[in-house]
Amino acid sequence: MAALIEVLAAGLFHAAVLFLVAAGLQLVFGVQRILNLACGSFYALGAYLGVTAGGLALGAGLSPLLALPLLVLAGAAVAALGPPVERLLRLVYDRDESFQLLLTFALVLMFQDLIRMGWGSQPQQVEGVYLAYGQVQLGAARIPVWNLLVLAAAIAIAGGLGLFLQRTDFGRILRATAENRRMAASLGVDTGRVYAAVFTLGTALGGIGGALVVPAAAAVPEKAVELVVEAFAVVVIGGLGSMPGALAGAAIVGLLRAGALLVWPELELLAVYAVVVAVLLLRPAGLFGRPAA
Amino acid sequence: MRTTRRELLAGAAAAAAPLGAALPLPAYAQARPLRVGILAPRAGVAGTVGEVGLKGVEFAVEKLNAAGGVAGRRVELVIEEETNPRETVERARRLALQERVDVIQGVVSSGVSLALGPALEESRILTVFWDGTTQDGVNETMPRPRWVFRSTDNECEAVMGSLMAIKHFRGQFLTVAGINPDYSYGRNNWAAFLALLRRFNIEHRVVTEQWPRVGGMDLTANVAALKAANPDLVFSSLLFADLPVFMRQAHAAGLLEGRKWVFPAAGFQHTALKKEFTPPGMVFGHNTLYFADPQATPLAREFVQWYHERTRDWPHWEADRAFFAMEVWRRGVEKAVQAKGGGAWPSNAEIAEAIRGIEVVSLGGPGRMRPDGVAEQTFIQGLTVHDPRYDFPILGPDRITRMDGRQLQKGPGQDFWRWIAEARFDL
Repeated sequence: MAALIEVLAAGLFHAAVLFLVAAGLQLVFGVQRILNLACGSFYALGAYLGVTAGGLALGAGLSPLLALPLLVLAGAAVAALGPPVERLLRLVYDRDESFQLLLTFALVLMFQDLIRMGWGSQPQQVEGVYLAYGQVQLGAARIPVWNLLVLAAAIAIAGGLGLFLQRTDFGRILRATAENRRMAASLGVDTGRVYAAVFTLGTALGGIGGALVVPAAAAVPEKAVELVVEAFAVVVIGGLGSMPGALAGAAIVGLLRAGALLVWPELELLAVYAVVVAVLLLRPAGLFGRPAA
Repeated sequence: MRTTRRELLAGAAAAAAPLGAALPLPAYAQARPLRVGILAPRAGVAGTVGEVGLKGVEFAVEKLNAAGGVAGRRVELVIEEETNPRETVERARRLALQERVDVIQGVVSSGVSLALGPALEESRILTVFWDGTTQDGVNETMPRPRWVFRSTDNECEAVMGSLMAIKHFRGQFLTVAGINPDYSYGRNNWAAFLALLRRFNIEHRVVTEQWPRVGGMDLTANVAALKAANPDLVFSSLLFADLPVFMRQAHAAGLLEGRKWVFPAAGFQHTALKKEFTPPGMVFGHNTLYFADPQATPLAREFVQWYHERTRDWPHWEADRAFFAMEVWRRGVEKAVQAKGGGAWPSNAEIAEAIRGIEVVSLGGPGRMRPDGVAEQTFIQGLTVHDPRYDFPILGPDRITRMDGRQLQKGPGQDFWRWIAEARFDL
């Protein structure tokens, strides 16, 4: 039982990080119809900003226990890149999807080099945070508190996003724009502003994901590409453009991976992508996506 | 009269010929510094490794030039980055053709050296690898190269780590687990460990085998799976940044307690394995250089101090590999020059021939270049302790073991698995 709890917790920790990146991807695709590969770069940048902010703050004597809000803020600071990148993407809004993919992949490579220029090529870590939070004992199971905090933060962000999209005026405008951009524009919605806001929000989500995972892992420039592949598995399973789909897809990928490592480690990737293939064949729109009319 | 460019060049050549003939050409050539081309990774997961190797080269060249150079000629470095195999082959050609280097040294990745070896051999470029082999897995692809000299087998450290596990932990474990990087290095290391357990008739049962990707970083699920399998002993050749990440996550999950641990490649990131999450009593491999070796030579101690003053860090084995490569080349040059009796400078073919079988003392201990062009060096492993002078574990001074490469590496032309099954190992 203890082993099962620990495997479940590890799977959900991974799912939480995947959700934050995939949620940004979904939000941007849902409203702007852009497949944004650069979401992986925002995750990597968030991780590096987390390393810098964490290092500076801890060096100045900040208690490691205050690292969580600090890292959320550091990750959210990646949002500053949202408006200029969105401005660039306007050039390909009405072009074929292959242009969008190529442009956003070019951004991934450019950000990778910028990260190397800014932080160097060596993997970087935030020392002294992960273990400072201790562990919780659930019977014989022991789970790092930081992992639970990241999970809680992802759930809180998912809930906040749901409330924002469903209950606020801007959320309704945003959904209306996602539904029919021209109609929204003709009703007086400033769709340019909506696009910039959505993209900035998606950027912040990726950055927060990166900053929250870095105390448990390490920041490496190459992580952007690897993560974006996994995030795409999440959105294919959950359904492109669907926020509940991002949540379900991330949970499925995280738990499947952890379960495979427990039962048959050689099947770690196969298990995840077998589900991706099954979804593409049996329900191409994903579990929560709407089939194309 | 109008002079064409061709006439002008012909006239200039005619005028210069007697001048050239009057010059003492060999002495002129010998006054030119010897140029050493270096290929080292500067970015990515192996970036740190490359930087440490470059420090080893810098130290070696500083010492050489202070002592009057190699056979009286100063040494100059031309550094290029080791990246992927295709680009690195191009850079090696540039070093040879444009920079006109006398020798190429370096290369950390066997993926790169596998591609680079045949290209350099074909182009007759004298090369001494730091850490790259020309093995496809454990099978040699260049049985007797003439121009290319390679490093020791990558599996040496796993063979020694396995022997150390048997020596120190025999009778204290039944269930074993592995967490090793998912490529041929990790797979061969784990297979070598199991083969040696069988060879020594150690009763054991494998309870899980984990294969994380290099640079995967999130190892929480692997940690949970290992804990669920509850092994008595874990063998791991994780390296680069993955190992500190694994240790931190394993410590937080309570995986490290009450088990035996064997880390044959941990020395690559020894200073990143902080004491707060790295317990004492583990088998810990420092490969061919242990910075706090009580039996270190005065030169090795000088290097460690020199390195620490410049980086505020402690060096690992890549510095020794780089120093060893420079040292076997230097000794080869000097031997070839001596064989010439002080006449013309020896050709690269003569230098390559002189390198075969040469014995040197590197920073980590004695070593040699076998006649088949494969290095043999001293390996150092031991059991860890926590020492108040360092914030990471070091080897207990009375628990250090040294092994010569001869005992850890298959002989020329041998099959690795048959060698493991038949070799005589001295514990």
